Amino acid sequence: MILLLQAILSGVLVGGVYALIGIGLTLIFGVMRVINFAHGELVMLGMYVTWLLFVKLGWDPYLSILAVAPLLFVWGAVLQTTVVNRVLDALPQNQILLTIGLGLVMSNAVMLAATSDYRLVSTSYSSASFDLGGLSVSYPLLLSFLVTVAVTVALYLFLLRTDTGQAIRATAQDRLAAQLMGIDVRRMSVLAFGLGAALAGVAGALVAPTYYIYPQVGAAFTLKAFVIVVLGGMGSVVGATLAGVLIGVTESLAAVYVASGLKELVVYVLFLVLLLVKPSGLLGKTRA
Amino acid sequence: MAPRLAHAVLVAVLSLPPLSARAAPVRLGFINSMTGPEAPIGENLTNGADLAVEDLKQRGIDVVLLKQDDGGKQQNAMSAIEQLATGEEVAAVVGPYTSASSNAVAPLAQQYEVPLLIPAAAKEELTRAGRSYVFRLNAPAHVYAASLLDAVLALGQPKTIAFVYESTDFGSSVSNAGKQLAQKKGLEIVADEAYQKGAPDYRSTLSKIKAQNPDLVFMVSYVADAILLMRQSREVGLKPQAFLGGGAGFDTAQFEAERTISNLVYSVTQWTPDTGWPGAAEFAARYQARFRKKPTYHAACAYAAVLVAGEAAAGAGGDPKKTREALARGSWTGVLGPVRFESFDGFTNQNRHVMPVVQYQDGKAQTVWPAQFAKRKAVYPFPGWK
Repeated sequence: MILLLQAILSGVLVGGVYALIGIGLTLIFGVMRVINFAHGELVMLGMYVTWLLFVKLGWDPYLSILAVAPLLFVWGAVLQTTVVNRVLDALPQNQILLTIGLGLVMSNAVMLAATSDYRLVSTSYSSASFDLGGLSVSYPLLLSFLVTVAVTVALYLFLLRTDTGQAIRATAQDRLAAQLMGIDVRRMSVLAFGLGAALAGVAGALVAPTYYIYPQVGAAFTLKAFVIVVLGGMGSVVGATLAGVLIGVTESLAAVYVASGLKELVVYVLFLVLLLVKPSGLLGKTRA
Repeated sequence: MAPRLAHAVLVAVLSLPPLSARAAPVRLGFINSMTGPEAPIGENLTNGADLAVEDLKQRGIDVVLLKQDDGGKQQNAMSAIEQLATGEEVAAVVGPYTSASSNAVAPLAQQYEVPLLIPAAAKEELTRAGRSYVFRLNAPAHVYAASLLDAVLALGQPKTIAFVYESTDFGSSVSNAGKQLAQKKGLEIVADEAYQKGAPDYRSTLSKIKAQNPDLVFMVSYVADAILLMRQSREVGLKPQAFLGGGAGFDTAQFEAERTISNLVYSVTQWTPDTGWPGAAEFAARYQARFRKKPTYHAACAYAAVLVAGEAAAGAGGDPKKTREALARGSWTGVLGPVRFESFDGFTNQNRHVMPVVQYQDGKAQTVWPAQFAKRKAVYPFPGWK
């Protein structure tokens, strides 16, 4: 019983961070209909900024979120205006190639600048945990999860309550109609890409104290984020949150009850089954 | 100006040894993971090889080392050896680093009849296929497992053992050898967990192992996963009598430096500076001075491999077939101790290398086994997390 609860707990906590990465990707897709295959690299940049601040200035990784989020927001906005914006009406394969290319440029530029050495952000709490009725709860994971929840709630409020948030949602719903209603859809695109990048960066900062950092680390996150977005329903923020946690828990349970080496297999088989049953994803709307 | 220049050129020409005494440089290939996930270890191999080229030069052997990067991928390693064997016409090839790449390259070395000297890959089968052109300097997987188990069985009476290893050629061959040996030695295997490398979360796997309460936990992983596994072991409170690390990721300076989680972990290694092997301590000091990093065993393995291959190839005049014969016949002594390629117990051209076992004590790797190399007393059992 303890083992089951432990697996679910770890799964939910890890899944929270997955969700954050997925939310960023789904936001970008929702507004621009561009799948950002460089999303993992944005997570990687967030990790490197966190590591740099930690090593050079002694900043705590959680504190560095304050720097990572705006930096990545600006970087995302720059990418959107200079590069991604040009392919908004291009063929999907061209958009995919472009974002994959962007990812390669980012990871190789980082490799050139920082070498391929593995970097660690070893804080005093990197392997700390406390006991909760027989369950061991990881401090850094719990903290990351709480930050994720706070960021997600703030994002929901922003999207639901503010005019800009509504404009973003309107653009996601129907770009042309939004434009006809007087919404500056180009600005919304820049905003969405910036927000998506910032969320990816924050996720990177949250992962940094418990993971390791190297230039190619992004690839694994891109794949995971993509699965989360499709599973949750393309463009659905709530769906991505659910899907992230679901994948975290599935992985964790599969590691305990199937086999550690097969946890990804279990995740992808379930993913395929769900797509067969509900092709639009958990909360996706079928588009005509 | 002009006369002075002419003078300088004349002096330079005259100070060169006569052409006849100076043989044409020996061409050696070197396949390594210089980029990709294994790049941090690959860097050690490259540095070790570079030092060897310098030393060979001092001994009057000019070596051109043609470096090829496989990025940790088998297909790149295969095209690298094809190019080295057919295009570059090298006398011998040193490398590749990973077991997976070596496994892909070995049959091609045999096919192209170019001697391949594997410096650090552990997969058993590499030298078990009767390939006359494939040589291995380091000890294969079963020695990793045997050394670790022999060391802890000399220290205590563990009854149960759990295996956690990445599902790669290296991970599964070391742990398979470990499982067979453990059974022979009467240990009960209570967990057998392969994992996909690079995942951020091993907590569920480790909790599952903790529930079995094993006396020994045997882990095999590359680079940074070792740190992750130990961090998360601490988190979930896994507390066996001993943590056994199968080299690679458990044998890096980074792992050593993480003292909260590395303390009292055992690791098996191909080399340590304090074994008393000729030149081992000097090599470590020189490496540290040059690259400002501590050398791992990979550096020493690559260094020794390039020295051996260079000498053999120079003696054979750069001819691959004669180099093969020189490697098969010769014997050397250096930073890795005595080197001879022998055929025994199903192995072909395998060096009988002895692997020391180290224990991390307060952020420093101390050799604790076998007795002839031991500098410190091992701490056993593991007293628990601080």
